[in-house]
Amino acid sequence: MTDRRWSSPVFRLKGHLDAILTGAKYLITPRATVRYPEEVIELPEGYRGFIEYKKDICISCGLCATVCPANAMKMYVERAAEPGEEAPAEEVKPKRYPGINYTRCIFCGFCVDVCPTGALEHVETHDVAYEDFNSMIYPPGEFAAGPPKPEFDTPPRRLRPTMDERRGIAYEPAD
Amino acid sequence: MMGLLEWILDLLLSPWLFVPLIYPGLISAFAVLLFIIWFERKLAAKVQLRYGPLYVLKRLGGAIQLVADLLRYLFAEPIVPDQADRLAFIFGPILLFASSYIAAIAIPISYDFYAFRSEISLLVVLGLNTLAPAFNLVIGWGSNNKFGLIGGLREGFLITADEIPMFVSALAMAVLYGTMDLVRMVELQSEWLWGIALNPLAAVTFFVLMLLSTSRFPFEIVEAESEIVMGPFTEYSGILYGLTMGASYVKLYVLSLLFAILFLGGWEPLPPLEFPGSWLILPGAVLFLKALVIMCLSVFMRAVYPRYRIDQALRLAWHYLFPASILSVFLSLLVLSGWSI
Amino acid sequence: MSEEEHVLELLIGPQHPASGHMRLVAKVDGDVVVSLRPDIGYVHRTVEKLAETKNYIQIIPLIERPPLADTANHNLGYVLALERLLGIEAPPRAQWLRTLLAEMTRIHSHFYGLGIHGIMLGSSTAFMWAFWDREIMIELAQRLTGARLTYSYMIPGGVRRDLPPGFEDEMDKALRYLERRIPDYHKIFFDNPVTRARLEGVGVLRREDAIRLGIVGPNLRASGVPYDVRKVDPYCAYPELDFNVVTREEGDSLARMMVRVGEIRESINMIRQILKKMPDGPILEERYLKMIPPKWKEWMAQHRRIKLPAALISLRPPKGEAVARVEAARGEAVYYIVSDGSPKPYRFRVVSPSIRNVVLFEHLIRNCRVADIPAIYGSLDYFPPEADR
Repeated sequence: MTDRRWSSPVFRLKGHLDAILTGAKYLITPRATVRYPEEVIELPEGYRGFIEYKKDICISCGLCATVCPANAMKMYVERAAEPGEEAPAEEVKPKRYPGINYTRCIFCGFCVDVCPTGALEHVETHDVAYEDFNSMIYPPGEFAAGPPKPEFDTPPRRLRPTMDERRGIAYEPAD
Repeated sequence: MMGLLEWILDLLLSPWLFVPLIYPGLISAFAVLLFIIWFERKLAAKVQLRYGPLYVLKRLGGAIQLVADLLRYLFAEPIVPDQADRLAFIFGPILLFASSYIAAIAIPISYDFYAFRSEISLLVVLGLNTLAPAFNLVIGWGSNNKFGLIGGLREGFLITADEIPMFVSALAMAVLYGTMDLVRMVELQSEWLWGIALNPLAAVTFFVLMLLSTSRFPFEIVEAESEIVMGPFTEYSGILYGLTMGASYVKLYVLSLLFAILFLGGWEPLPPLEFPGSWLILPGAVLFLKALVIMCLSVFMRAVYPRYRIDQALRLAWHYLFPASILSVFLSLLVLSGWSI
Repeated sequence: MSEEEHVLELLIGPQHPASGHMRLVAKVDGDVVVSLRPDIGYVHRTVEKLAETKNYIQIIPLIERPPLADTANHNLGYVLALERLLGIEAPPRAQWLRTLLAEMTRIHSHFYGLGIHGIMLGSSTAFMWAFWDREIMIELAQRLTGARLTYSYMIPGGVRRDLPPGFEDEMDKALRYLERRIPDYHKIFFDNPVTRARLEGVGVLRREDAIRLGIVGPNLRASGVPYDVRKVDPYCAYPELDFNVVTREEGDSLARMMVRVGEIRESINMIRQILKKMPDGPILEERYLKMIPPKWKEWMAQHRRIKLPAALISLRPPKGEAVARVEAARGEAVYYIVSDGSPKPYRFRVVSPSIRNVVLFEHLIRNCRVADIPAIYGSLDYFPPEADR
C-alpha cells in the first residue's frame, strides 16, 4: 500500500512546494486567538462554573455533601443563637448548611443536579484568581453571599462563539 | 571640542571601523538579530493562527519583544555546572558568537566602501564563516552533558556535509565571474545579469545549504528540542545561552549578505553615485534589504517543516546537494562558453 | 572496545521536552538506539484503589482523570459495566447521545495525538493547528455537557443533558469546517516530504507481532488487523451506524498516523448519521426518572437537563461482577467491577489502552536512531497518565 509516487524526486519536489504554498496561504487567513484578559468568551448557558447558593431555600438535606466526589462540599453546623442565650428553641437547635472548598471542587456539577430544592445553581464564570488557598474556602455564610466574580482592570469585550464553516469558531461581539 | 567630535565621526565613518562595528558588523548584526527572531516568531504564529509576541510595544505587534528577552538574559544568572569544563563552557559561546559575525568584515557594502578589498574576499568570507560550528563542538564537549555531546557531534557531522558543497557552489559563481573579489562580482552582475538568473542551480543549492549550516528548519538537527533538549546548549542559561541562540541567526545574516552579493546583484541596480554620503546609505540599504528578504524566507521554513533526521540531512547534503554544487560549476562553465560565443 | 565503552545510557525524561510523564532509558551506540526501556508509573494515581473508597457515582469523575482528552469513552466504559451490574439499560435516546459524545471525544483526542506527534517531529504548525481544531469539538461538547473536558456526562441509566437548541446546525458547520481543513493538514504535514521521510518505514509493527503483543486501537489497525470493539462487540448506537474500520497494511509510524486521520473522517460521518437518526424519548432510565420529584418535570423539560435522583448517589448494586469494554480513542478499554452489595465497589479494575500499548516502546524502538524515538513515541499516541492510572 506504500505510495509509489513518493520515490519520485519530482513528486517530492511538488510536496515541498505544496507545503510552502500552504504555509504562505495561512499568512493571510484570520487568526483564531482570543486575547483573554481583554476579550472574554461568553460561556454557554448551562456551563458548569462557580456555584450559587440560595441559603433560604436550603433544606439542609446534605445530599450535595454526600454526592461530592472530591469532598469539596462539606456540611457546617450553625446555630442562630448560642445555647445559653435567651432565644426560641428553634434558633438554638444546630442546623447544617453546605460550604464549599474551591481548591478541591472539580466542577462536576453533581451537587447542583442532586439538590432537591434547587438551592444550588451554576453560574457561567470560572475565571477567578485567588491570592491564597484559604480564601478559596467558602463556609455557608460566604457561600450564600454569591459566587465569586472575576475582576478586570478594564471591562473586557465579550465574545460569543458561533461555529463557522471557514474559520471553525467565529467570535462575534456579544453585545 | 568640535574638532574632537568631527574626528570621532570621521573615525567611525572610516570603513575600517564602520564595517566591523556598525554595518554590516556588530551593531547591525545585533539589530538584525533582534528583528529576525521576532519576525520568525510572528511569521510562525500567523501561519499557526496565533499572534505571537504582542504585549511588548503592542502598537507595533510586540516588535521589541526581543529587547525584553535580551534584558532578561542579561540579568539571569549564567549557571556554570560543576562538572563542566569551565574555560570551554564560558568562552565557547563568546567565541561562537564572535566567529559567527567576524566574516562580515570582508563584505563590501558599495563599490567604494569596504574594510578591505582583496582578490579573494569571497574565500575570506566563506573561510571565516566556517569557524563557528567548531565552537559548537567545543560547547557540546565542554558542558559535559550527554545531550550536549550528541548535539555537538551532530554539528561535527554537519560541518563537513554543509560547508564543502557550500564552498563549491559559491566557487561556481567565482568561476562564472572569473574573480573572487566580491566588489568585482557585483560590477559584473550589473553588466550582465543577476547571478540567480545566470546560475539558478548554484543559488538553490546555496540557499538550502544556508538553511542546513545555520540549523534552520527543516534542518534544525543540532538543537532538536524533542530529541536532545537543546543540543550543545542544554546546560546554558543567562546571557551565555542568549549568545548561543543568537549565533546561528548572525551566521544566517552574514550568509544572506553573501547570497545577496553572489546571486542578487548586491547593491544593484544602484550605479556609483557622485554626491557625498551616498556611498554609504543607499547601496548599503539595498544590500541590506535583499539580505533581509533572504533571511525572512529562511525563517519562514519554521512554519512549514518538521525536522529531518541527521542521517537524512547528511544523505541530502552528500547525495543531492554536493552533486548539485559540482553540476553548478559545470553550469557556470557552460554559461561562460555560451557567453563568449 | 567492549560494549560498555561505546554505549551511552541516555535518560530521556521525566524532565525532557518530549518524554511525557515518564522516563525512557535509552542505550545509544553512536546514533543507534540499542535498547529502550520505558520507566512507567511516574503519574500513578491509585485510581483503582481510590475507587474502592467512593460511591459508584463518585467514580465517574475519577475515571475521567487518567485518560484526559479521551474522557467520554472511558466514562462510557465504566457506566456500561455499572449498568450491567445493576441490570439496567439506558433508553435509546441516551444511548445515541452517549455515542455522539464518544465520537466527538474521539475526534478531539485524535487531534490531540496528532498535534503532539507534530511537535515531536518539530512541526510546530501541526501542533498548533491540531490544538485549534480540537477546540471546535471541545466548544461543542461544552455546549452539550457544560464542561470542556471532564464531562461526567454519562451516568448509570442515561445521560445528564439533552441536546441544546440549535446544536445540529452548529455541529454541521463545525464538521464541514473540519473537512475543509484536512486537505491543508495533508499538504503541510501528512504529505510533507520531510514528514514522510521521518515516518515511512520507521518503527514497523508487523501484523503477527501486533497480535502476539496484544496491541489495541489504531496501533493495531495500522498493522492490518481490523479489530474494533465498536464492530466486534457493539454497544450503544454503534450497531445502527454505518462506518468502516480504518486499517492500513504497513504498520509503520506513518500508517499509525494515517489511521487516526481516517478515523477522524469516519467519526465525522458517524456524527452526521447520529444527528440524523437520533430517536426521541427520555434520556434517563424510567425507574430513576420516576424518583425525581414531579415539581422538577417542567424545569427538566425547559432546561433539557435531568435532576439526579437521590437513589443514584448511593447505588447498591447486587453482589456480583461485571465487565464492559469500549473502543476508546487510543484503543480497547476494559472496565471490571466486583460488587459486594455495599455502596462502594469491592474491586475496580481498569485496563486502559495505553498500558497495553506500552510494550511497543521496547519492541519498536530498537536499532532505530535517536531521532526516531520521538517519531515513534508520537505515532503510538501513548499517554502516560492513562497507562499509569
